[in-house]
Amino acid sequence: MDTFLAALFSGSSRGAIYALVALGLVIVWRGAGILNYAQMGQAMFSTYIASTMITNGNSYWLAFVVAILVGAVMGVLLDILVMRPLSNKKKTELLSSESMRAAIPVIASLGILGALQALAGIIWAAEERGFPAPYAQEGFTVANNVMPFTSFDVFVITVVLSTLALTSLFFKKTGVGLAMRATALNSEVARLSGIRTNFTRSLSWAFSGAASSLAGLLITPTSNLSPNTLDLVLIIGFTAAVVGGLDSPAGAVIGGFLVGMVISFVSFYDTPEDVFLAILAVLILVLIIRPRGILGAKDARRV
Amino acid sequence: MRAVSKAKNHSIARKSLRRTIFFVAAILFAASTFDAYNQAQLAVVLILFIGVLSVTLLTGISGQLSLGQGALMAVGGYCMALLMINQNYSLWVAIPLAIVGSALAGLLLGIAAARLTGPYLAGTTLVIALAIPTLANRFMSVLKGDEGLPVDVGYPPVWFTNLFGEPSYEQWQLYVALPFAAIALFLASNILLSRTGRMWRAIRDNETAAALSGVNFSRQKIFVFVVSATFAGLSGALYGLRGLVGPSVYPVSLSLLLLTAAVLGGIRSIFGAFIGTVIVVFLPDWIDAVLHQFELSEQVSNFMPALVSSLLLILTVVINPAGVAGTHLHKHKHK
Repeated sequence: MDTFLAALFSGSSRGAIYALVALGLVIVWRGAGILNYAQMGQAMFSTYIASTMITNGNSYWLAFVVAILVGAVMGVLLDILVMRPLSNKKKTELLSSESMRAAIPVIASLGILGALQALAGIIWAAEERGFPAPYAQEGFTVANNVMPFTSFDVFVITVVLSTLALTSLFFKKTGVGLAMRATALNSEVARLSGIRTNFTRSLSWAFSGAASSLAGLLITPTSNLSPNTLDLVLIIGFTAAVVGGLDSPAGAVIGGFLVGMVISFVSFYDTPEDVFLAILAVLILVLIIRPRGILGAKDARRV
Repeated sequence: MRAVSKAKNHSIARKSLRRTIFFVAAILFAASTFDAYNQAQLAVVLILFIGVLSVTLLTGISGQLSLGQGALMAVGGYCMALLMINQNYSLWVAIPLAIVGSALAGLLLGIAAARLTGPYLAGTTLVIALAIPTLANRFMSVLKGDEGLPVDVGYPPVWFTNLFGEPSYEQWQLYVALPFAAIALFLASNILLSRTGRMWRAIRDNETAAALSGVNFSRQKIFVFVVSATFAGLSGALYGLRGLVGPSVYPVSLSLLLLTAAVLGGIRSIFGAFIGTVIVVFLPDWIDAVLHQFELSEQVSNFMPALVSSLLLILTVVINPAGVAGTHLHKHKHK
C-alpha cells in the first residue's frame, strides 16, 4: 500500500510537469504546424539563467519570473529567426515534396537544440549542478509516518493546475485566444478574416516557451541541471502529447498525467531502467490502437 | 522492350561501378598521404558514410525522417559482437549475419513506421533510439550492460601480409572498412539510378500520385526501411569493431550526427552523404587547429565542434536546404 501511494503521489507531481511540457508542444503544433524538438533546450537554457541569478544573490522568485520571460522571448526569436523564414521559403525542387516540407522544420529544431546545448556547455560548463526548490523537499509527517508527498510537490501541482486553468481561460475567453484558435484551425481563412497570423504564430511560440521554461524550473530541483538533462523530459512530453492527441491541449494534460503515472509505477514496481521501454510500449500501443490520441480531432492529419 | 531495359540496367551498373572504382582509388590515394591518426579518422569516415547513406535513402530519397538510425546500428553491432564472442565467428562471417539481423529489425520497424509520417515518425524513432540501448541492461547476462562487448578488427590474414606487407593497426581498420563502404556505395548508386529509386522518389513527392501510377507505397515504404536498416546495421557493426559494442557507443547523438552529416552534405545525393560525413568527422580537428591559435579554456573548445555543426545545420536548412552537393540538383529540374 505504501508503495502504491508513493507511486501515485510521485506520478501526479511528475505527471503535472509532463502535462506542461506536452501542452507546450501541442500549442506550437496547433499554432505553427511544427513539432518543436528544441523546446526543452530552451527550457534548459532559461533554467541555467535562473540558476546563475540565484547564485549571484537574487531571490528565487525574481529568477523564476525572469526565466519564464526568457523562455517566452526565446520562443519568439526562434519563430522569427528560423521557423518563419523556413515556412515562407518558396517552393524549390527540394521543398516541393510534402514530406520534406514537414521534415525540414524538425531538422531545424534539432539544430537549435544542439546549438543551445553546446552554448550552455560553453557558458556554464557540463558538470551537473543542483537547482533550488522554493519549498521543502521532505515528506509530510502524518501520525509519525513520513508520507511520500512534499510541500514542493504541492507547489508543483498548484502552479501547474493554475497555469493550465489560466491557459484554457485565455484561449476560450479572450479575443487573442480566439484569434490563435482560428489560426490553428485554418490559417488561410484566419488571415483572410483579418487576423495577423504571423503575430498569433509568434504568440504560440512565446506561450510554449514560457510553459516549457516553467516545466524546466519545476523539474530540475529533483533531477539536477546539465545541458542534456531535459532531453528525456522532451521525449516523455512528446509521448504524452501523442497519447492525448497532438492537437488537443486538454488531451496533452490528460496524456501528461497518464504517462507520469506509467513512469512512476514502472519505476516503483519494476526498475527505473525500464522506463524508456515502457514509454516506447505506451507510444506504440497508442499509435496502433488510437493514432489520433485520446482527445485528438477526427479529421486530424493522418499520422 | 525487354532488351532495352536490360541494356539500361547494364549502363546503370556500369555507371555505379565507375563511381565505386573512382571512390576506392581516391580513398586509397588519400590514405597513402595521411598519418596514422588521420588514417583512423578516414576509417571512421568510411564507416559512418555507410550509416549516412542509410539516412540518405530513407529520408532524402523516400522522404521518411528517422532519428533512430543509431538504434539500428546498435542492432548490427550487437549481432556481430555476439556471434564473434559466443560463436567465435570471424568478422567476415559475423558481419553479413549481423546485416541480416538488422534487416529483420528494419522490417519490424518498417511495418510499425509505414503508417507514420512527419513528426510522428521522427518522434517515435527518437524514442526507439533511446529505448533500444537500455535493452543492454535489461538482458545483462547476454549483452553485458554498460560494460559492453569488446571486439576488434584483429590482425590481417597471412595472404594479405604476404601480398601487401604488414599494415599498421589503423591501416588495417581502413582496409576492413573500405570493401564494405565500396559495396554500400555501389548498391546505393544502383538503387538511386534504377526503377526502385524512382518509385521511392515518387512516394516522397506525392503518395497519392505514386499510388495512382501503380506504386504499392506501403510495401515500398517497408522495403525502404529494410534496405536502410541493412546499411545502418553494417555501419554499426564496423563502428563497433573499433573496440567496443555497448550502449555508450550508440547514443542518441549518433543518430543525430548521421542526420547532420546527411543534411550538411546534401540529403538527396550519395556524393553529398560522403561530403557530409567528411565534414562531421574532421570538423572537430579543423576547429581544434583554428582554436589552437587562441588561448581558450577547455570548456570552450570541448563544446565548440557541437556548436559549429549545429549552427551549420540550421544555416543549411534555412539558406540552402539542398546541402553542399545540392547545387547540381538544379540541373535536373523537371518542371
